[in-house]
Amino acid sequence: MSNEVLEAELNCAHCRTETTHELVYAGRLLVSTTCSICHTRVEHESNDLWDNYLKDLPHRIATKPLRLWKRFWRGPKSLLWNLPRSTFSKPFKMLKEYRNLKKED
Amino acid sequence: MKSGIKAGLIVLAAGSGNRFGHTTNKVWLPLSGRRIISRSITNASKNFKHGRVVLVIHPGDEELARKTLEREVRGIDVEIVFGGLTRHESEYNALMYLAPAIRAGELEVVLIHDGARPLATPALFTEIAESALRHGGAIPTIAVDAYEMETLQKDKVVRVQTPQGFHAKDLLEAYIKAASDGFTGTDTAACMEKYFPEVKTVAISANVSNVKITYPQDLAIAEHVLAQRGYKD
Repeated sequence: MSNEVLEAELNCAHCRTETTHELVYAGRLLVSTTCSICHTRVEHESNDLWDNYLKDLPHRIATKPLRLWKRFWRGPKSLLWNLPRSTFSKPFKMLKEYRNLKKED
Repeated sequence: MKSGIKAGLIVLAAGSGNRFGHTTNKVWLPLSGRRIISRSITNASKNFKHGRVVLVIHPGDEELARKTLEREVRGIDVEIVFGGLTRHESEYNALMYLAPAIRAGELEVVLIHDGARPLATPALFTEIAESALRHGGAIPTIAVDAYEMETLQKDKVVRVQTPQGFHAKDLLEAYIKAASDGFTGTDTAACMEKYFPEVKTVAISANVSNVKITYPQDLAIAEHVLAQRGYKD
């Protein structure tokens, strides 16, 4: 779920209505949310984000083998087919996560 | 240790949130690597040996729900039911689905939980089920500070959370009566109060961290709580 921009219905504290919000993630962490109506943006404190990101990273690394194993059991062919591409693109994904976090500085 | 209570666990996730063909119901959002709904289901079922888990969804979310369950909620048998236009209708549909098991005595209590509350702990589900079995009903509450309210109240006021649990047969009967009367309750406890006012519903002191994802800030709070818990429960 890295570097995803998603949309969801959330209540905006500013315009006090349930509206579509754009959510930006870096890795597994939420970076910011923006209301589509009043454009109010809620973001994590950049220091907190960095702290949380650095705390989360070892957990991501530690759980990766188990997650890969689960994916293998769900669909070995699909995993083997996608693994070279996802391994190659991982550094770029990490770079994009880093950029998303830097944007908040 | 797992509870031996025979519990029906209904997790509500039927809000549509559909705009321009995108599924945007917040329960499908990721929260620290897993979707909100996956965390809600896992926590709900974790402590029950004999629980039946029913996920109530919007029909348009069926494919997403099945993929999510396969990917993130493996090892738990989750039954999918389509919800209605209101929370009350969704609860009714789930109870009708469980009705044969309830009538056969296969379920002692039913717990109804908001899918958008991913931080309700397995221990809270057990406590609610045990209290509901003992007393008739149980709901998690937190005391509201008088200064939080617009008008100062002398009575003690609490904020009610989920899961809300009740004797299965009473709850089913209450919803059948409500359907014939055209009554729509704001939550499970409201319907029980109308049709079974004599049933004792106990308030279980809950934790403020059992946040319902409503505002963008709630997602940040939930991430923080999960990090504090070491990403468990």
